[in-house]
Amino acid sequence: MIMLKIILDRKEPGIEEVRQHQNFDEILAAFTYQQKVNNPWRYWYYPLLPVCLLLLA
Amino acid sequence: MALSRKEDCKPLMLNSLKPKTMPLQLSLPQQSFLPEEEKLLIERAQKDPRFFAPLYERYHDAIFRYVYRRVDEEEQAYDITSSVFVKALQALHKYEYRGLPFSAWLFRIAKSELYQSFRDQKAQRTVSIDKVVLKQVIEEWTEDYTEQDKARLLVALKELKDQQLQLIEMRFFEKRSFKEIGEICGLSENNAKVKTFRAVLKLKQFFHQKE
Repeated sequence: MIMLKIILDRKEPGIEEVRQHQNFDEILAAFTYQQKVNNPWRYWYYPLLPVCLLLLA
Repeated sequence: MALSRKEDCKPLMLNSLKPKTMPLQLSLPQQSFLPEEEKLLIERAQKDPRFFAPLYERYHDAIFRYVYRRVDEEEQAYDITSSVFVKALQALHKYEYRGLPFSAWLFRIAKSELYQSFRDQKAQRTVSIDKVVLKQVIEEWTEDYTEQDKARLLVALKELKDQQLQLIEMRFFEKRSFKEIGEICGLSENNAKVKTFRAVLKLKQFFHQKE
């Protein structure tokens, strides 16, 4: 069960203050990193490279 | 995103709470995309995530405020907002335009991220209410507004089921239209109206039980 807290007349940060926290590059970097980590093929790249080289030799 | 419309304002029980306009802090920026323009931007972003930037700029503030009103700490709200946009980028290839505004899709991701944080106990579920709105609600139900009534209403709010609380929160504390509530909760406009009406009845019942 989630506990509930009620706040009355809470002050919200201004538009400019929120805008200062906008950083699309950071979001894009996190997304790119997660894509890289979640890509199952990345585990095959490095073992495949020596195999290919051996086959070519 | 559509602002509150006249047909949304038919009295349920809380006549004085007719949303006239959405409060500045919750509304989307005035400069809005046309649906076709937005569709085009989404298609471009689906091909290359770097083109997601204009959508991020446009919706960041609205998503942040939606999250902020529901969590205890500001920093957590910024963190959750960031993860909403990362998740949105991850799922963007699955997004299909079906007439709903893109913001509705983002709000649903925000809702799911918020509840994930509550479950992981990283954030505290919070409801932010203006005292003026609280007073308006009480004045609808009782003749005089007293501090005791205020305390009773706060206790009654805590007794609501989560979905009921969400509906009341969006409709009365955030002044969202039924159309918008429906889009965020995955309900039709009419269904959102009916469910909100039932939630208000329940709240009133809890409120009077505490007398």
